[in-house]
This record gives sequence, structure tokens and C-alpha cells, in this order.
Amino acid sequence: MKPIKRHSLPFIPTANLVDIAILLIIFYMACSNFVSQTAAKVTLPKAEALERQQEPLILVLIDSKGNIYLQGRQVENSAAVQSGVSALLQGKETDAMRMVMFRCDEGVTRDVFEPVISAIVEAGGIIMAVGENVGTGK
Amino acid sequence: MYKLPKKKQLDQEAIPTTSLADMMFLLLIFFIMTTTLSRVTGFVSDMPSGSSGKQESKDKTPTVLLQGDEVRLNDEVTTMASLRNSLMALHLELKEGNDKIVMVSTAGNVTYQSYYQVLAAIQSCSGVVAIVTEDAEEKK
Repeated sequence: MKPIKRHSLPFIPTANLVDIAILLIIFYMACSNFVSQTAAKVTLPKAEALERQQEPLILVLIDSKGNIYLQGRQVENSAAVQSGVSALLQGKETDAMRMVMFRCDEGVTRDVFEPVISAIVEAGGIIMAVGENVGTGK
Repeated sequence: MYKLPKKKQLDQEAIPTTSLADMMFLLLIFFIMTTTLSRVTGFVSDMPSGSSGKQESKDKTPTVLLQGDEVRLNDEVTTMASLRNSLMALHLELKEGNDKIVMVSTAGNVTYQSYYQVLAAIQSCSGVVAIVTEDAEEKK
């Protein structure tokens, strides 16, 4: 009778796996942008020659129903946007820090978006208007 | 010398790290799912604030009027496509200060889509957008 040959299981080194996972987690934590406007439905307007932009820290959003949001929280009107943006921009002097991301639904009418744009400008913000690039962009 | 009790004590003080890998992978999956690595596209516009009464005479400044679906540049009816060409012909990139300003006024039922296209066209031609609101016009 032949003796039973026991095959040892192949050894996979997993000691470094945790280190790799930690490095990946640090990478994703550093690169993450948590979307704060998921509740609002916005169809972005389309235009040519739009460029990629850095996301500013301040966000003003108008959804398809005309609701206005500042930093993810709904506000009543453009006056609230002006006071809110003004407070957020206090002590910020460089152009990069005064950027305000403006996301607005393409179907919103001027009586809603125009006072909000004016409010951001009056508060001292530089508008970064978000849209979708079509055609011959840079 | 018999040292077994000391070794046993050391084993009890060791931090259990067997579940660390599981936690790391859970966090990793969470961050992979929630991360948006793409940058947004758009344009940056540093619009001048203040009333239009401080501006220079309006006839010198190019003015885009959006009225419903109609687009007018200096009171002449144009289209979105030709607006950009007309603005490029102004060579705003060679001008400085207030000469770069293009006034944008609206009337009637204007949607953000057409407004955005006008602003993007002005911005791509190195112009500076100045919004003319109804209140400012009334102050004149």
C-alpha cells in the first residue's frame, strides 16, 4: 500500500496586504469629494469651450423646482444667499478662496437665477458656473 | 530556567490585529464607492458689482440682450452661434479694464440654458460679464 502523500497548501503572503489597503484608503480620503447636493435634481446647462475647474469650497445650487441651496442646505431667497456667502467669505482675500460654485438647472428662469447670481457678486464672490462641455471645448 | 508564565503574560498584552484587514477593506470599499475623481467643467467669472450708474456710457459697451429665445448684440438680432464670432471680432483679449466689459441684460422668459451659453461665449472671448438687472435699470 502506497503511503498517502499530503500536499501542503500553497502559501500566499498576506502580511503586506493591510499596508497596501491603508495606503489606498489614505489616497481615497485625500481625493474624495463628498457630494452634498445629491438631494437636488439639477440638469446642467451645456455650452462650448468650457474648461475643467477646481471645485470651490462654497456651493450655491438651484434645482429644477427653483429651490435655492447654500452649502447643501435650502435657503429661502437671494438675500439669504448674499448674507450666507458674505459670512463664508469673511477673511478670505485671494481669488481662489473667493470662488463660489454655482450649479443651476438649465430650465430655471431668470427671475430665480439672476437675483442669486447678483447676490453672490454683491457678497464678493467670484462665480464658477458649472456646465457640461459640448462641441469644441478646450 | 523555566520562563513559561512570562511568555503567557506577553501574549495577553498583544493587540489583536486579525480583524484590522477586514476593517481596512470595508473602509476601502466605502471610499471607492463614494469618491468622485472627476473635476467639474465650467467657467470662472469675476463680475463687477455695484450699480450701473457708475459705469461708462452704455453706447461704448457691447450689450447682449436676451429676450425669450431671441438674442441681440447691440440691438441687432443674432444667434447663439454667431454671437461668439461677433464677440471675437471685438478683440476683447487686447483690451484692458472696463473696455473688456460686456453687459448682459434679460427680458421676458429666459432660461438658464440660454443665459449660460451667452456667459460662456463672453467668457471664452476674454470678456468680463456685467449683469444689468431690472433694479439697476430703474435707478438710471
